[in-house]
Amino acid sequence: MESIKDQMDLGIMDIKQAEFYATDGGFVGLKYKGEDYKHVVLRRIMPSKQPFNYISVADIENKEIAILKAVDDLPEGQKNVVLTELDNRYYSPEILDVISVQDKLGYVYMEMRLKNKKGIEYKKNCAIKDVSRNIRMTSDNSIIVFDVDGNRYIGSDLKKLSRQSMRKLDAYLF
Amino acid sequence: MKAFAFEYDLKMDMNPVEGQLIFSEDGMVRAVENGAEVFAFDAKTLKEAKVHAGVGCGLIFAEYENAPDKVLCRFSMSGLKMAGEFCKIVNFYKLTGKPAFPDEVEKRVCEKCGRAMVAEIRVCVFCYDQFSVIKRALSFLRPYAKTITISQILNSISVIGFLIPPIIMRVLIDRHLDEGIGTWGQIMIFAGALLLSRVISNGLEIFAGRRYNRATISVFDDMRTATYQKVQSHSMTLFAKRTPGDLIRRVMDDTDTIGEFLNDIGRWVLEMILMFTIASVILFFTNWQLALLVLVPVPIVSFLMWSVQKVLRARFERQWRKSSRVNTILHDIIKGIRTVKSFGNEKREIAKFSKANHDLASISSQNETLWGILFPPMSFLVSVGEFLILFVGGWMVLNGTISLGVMVQFTMFLWAIYDPLRWLVNVPRWLANTTTSMVKVFELLDDESEITEVASPNNVPIKGKVDYKNVYFGYKSYEPVLKGVSLEIQPGEMIGLVGKSGVGKSTLINLAMRLYDPNNGKITINEADLRNISPDHLHENMGVVFQDSFLFAGSFYENISYGKHGATYEEVIAAAKAANAHDFITQSSDGYNTLIGEGGQSLSGGERQRLSIARAVIKNPDILILDEATSSLDVETEASIQESLTRITKGRTTIAIAHRLSTLKNADRLVVLDKNGVAEVGTHAELLKKKGIYYGLVMAQRQSSRKEGQETA
Repeated sequence: MESIKDQMDLGIMDIKQAEFYATDGGFVGLKYKGEDYKHVVLRRIMPSKQPFNYISVADIENKEIAILKAVDDLPEGQKNVVLTELDNRYYSPEILDVISVQDKLGYVYMEMRLKNKKGIEYKKNCAIKDVSRNIRMTSDNSIIVFDVDGNRYIGSDLKKLSRQSMRKLDAYLF
Repeated sequence: MKAFAFEYDLKMDMNPVEGQLIFSEDGMVRAVENGAEVFAFDAKTLKEAKVHAGVGCGLIFAEYENAPDKVLCRFSMSGLKMAGEFCKIVNFYKLTGKPAFPDEVEKRVCEKCGRAMVAEIRVCVFCYDQFSVIKRALSFLRPYAKTITISQILNSISVIGFLIPPIIMRVLIDRHLDEGIGTWGQIMIFAGALLLSRVISNGLEIFAGRRYNRATISVFDDMRTATYQKVQSHSMTLFAKRTPGDLIRRVMDDTDTIGEFLNDIGRWVLEMILMFTIASVILFFTNWQLALLVLVPVPIVSFLMWSVQKVLRARFERQWRKSSRVNTILHDIIKGIRTVKSFGNEKREIAKFSKANHDLASISSQNETLWGILFPPMSFLVSVGEFLILFVGGWMVLNGTISLGVMVQFTMFLWAIYDPLRWLVNVPRWLANTTTSMVKVFELLDDESEITEVASPNNVPIKGKVDYKNVYFGYKSYEPVLKGVSLEIQPGEMIGLVGKSGVGKSTLINLAMRLYDPNNGKITINEADLRNISPDHLHENMGVVFQDSFLFAGSFYENISYGKHGATYEEVIAAAKAANAHDFITQSSDGYNTLIGEGGQSLSGGERQRLSIARAVIKNPDILILDEATSSLDVETEASIQESLTRITKGRTTIAIAHRLSTLKNADRLVVLDKNGVAEVGTHAELLKKKGIYYGLVMAQRQSSRKEGQETA
């Protein structure tokens, strides 16, 4: 029996017919199969496992136009446009250090040193509610932290954190 | 000049920045970054300001009539709510030409320490005054102040009684036993005094304890009732911003923590302090050098206990979380065992559980080992005082510096020093836990309902015309669901609301029920503004049937009469008959007294829905709301319920939403909503003829039914 994926039309984008471009307003536009979409929304379908593959491209009404199978398949100029937009849409700074962790009134207050994707380092205080759900181990060696506002911070390699940082985090990792 | 500034924290290239997007009363929108203006434009030039939420960040963009959308600023998620407020203000100006600014903008940063504040907590958790919280909690004690004061006085007397025996022992030894001049009678008198002091102290302790506990249990009862009343009387916004689990935790667990603190700890605090102080004073007056020796280990032991507790608390918390994870896995798997087995995933689930269980066993073992290492030295340190008393005191007795009685008194007083100390060292932790609960309970009590009742409500009869006048509403300020909806519903008219999901059909009826108030515009019933009608009066005169109506764990009779307080037997039977529920009820073993179990799980979908309809119509409402009342039922069951609905809706103003459009074809008017508001209005036939949105929806449904029919065939 043929696989389910052979039975369904996944709507994979034909990149030969696609042209992504940056609009003057700061968005991404797409010319595809004769249509000019002046504002498209890019969404990672599998953000943690396949951040640069399987990108859903939808119009402003959230109707999916197609799925971009791999960003790498695009020509260099278009690839940069798509990567910049993905960086702008998915904001999750990297945790460099955990400066302090305090339990207060049922919330965990964390002061961290962060680095954004452009390499800029800065400090941030955040409050985390229900740590068992909002400090998640994504693998044996990486975590994702969600604060009460919906910001997310990634610790992609816990081995890189200092011993002091790990000691502060340790009680919340499980 | 008045202005509203939204502070954003990301530049266009996503690097951090201190930026402000300012809307001022002259209608200008300006962006300022690090003190320099980036751009400025007149708000009238745009069509709408919108928020777009990404993942971990968001942006405000301008939508134009004849130009591409333009990003105005970017921000981390901390700015999402205020971004919505900003857009609301700009869009209101665009629509009306009048600037309107909110009176008070929610403070997001603590003025004292500058830390970001948690949206759900009004106080800064670092700066809140712990004592003011405790003071407020103590205000709950006021009605029982007399009982509590008397019981604490009696308790204090009992403490003094417990401290008498060592003194009696000293006098007995020094004056009668040591010198061998005592008589049998004197010993009897001293023993009697000792026994009497014990009996009186214990008696007082039992009496005072009972009175104190009774009073604090009443305080706990008052507090829990007050929080539950708050939950019941609050508007739906409370349930939107707090999860059911959070509310249950506040009403049950947090009040429980406060109750336990008052009951178990509050009672002993005074006793322990009193015991420690009196014992210390007596020892110092008896022999200050020896008293100092008793107190030598106190600061060391206190500090060690405090530090060890800090370490242990973190480790035991981790153990608690691991245990919680094991429970969650177990709960999930047992609940979904059918799915696990049908997919043959038992081995995978066993492995998952084993890993979590192994992790728990590992941390538990580490913690027990640590406790085993730390506890003996701690106990040893506490006993150092005893050793010092024995060593130095013995030497002083031999030296003749102190008498044997004094040394015995010191030894007997050691527990009165160390026991309170062991206990008091825990107080900061207990106090911290309790104030956490207190803050959460008070937050709930202070939470103001957005649906307020005016001082003199205009409780007009709930019948007649329902009029939506230019209504704007959004559950989240940055995502408006209804934008300028106007709709007039005539008395006795049946209106069917139609449209794709997310266009605001349920929102329209939520507003009619005054579960929320519109952000702008108004809704009137019988020409009276809904805001001026008391919610109780409104709900008493409206009948509502939801898609998944909740039935309570009670009998058929109780569930139907829930709709009308004090309903007669005949009214209950009439409502059941009107809803075509009477037959299946009478066929049940205990008729109307049959228990239906929690959530009505023992009933079929059709039976549950018939009961909901009976519950809605028992009060004979003039306005009936049917929110997908038959959507979860099969076509055959729906048809039988439809018959009862046709009978019930006759002559009542009815607003109905139905997924199956055929259900609504007999409505007097159908109102088709799209993302811009009311798109089409007319009868089924008129709208079909028009070949617009409704026509498209009907055709799509017919096609899918045909497909289903073919597949079934």
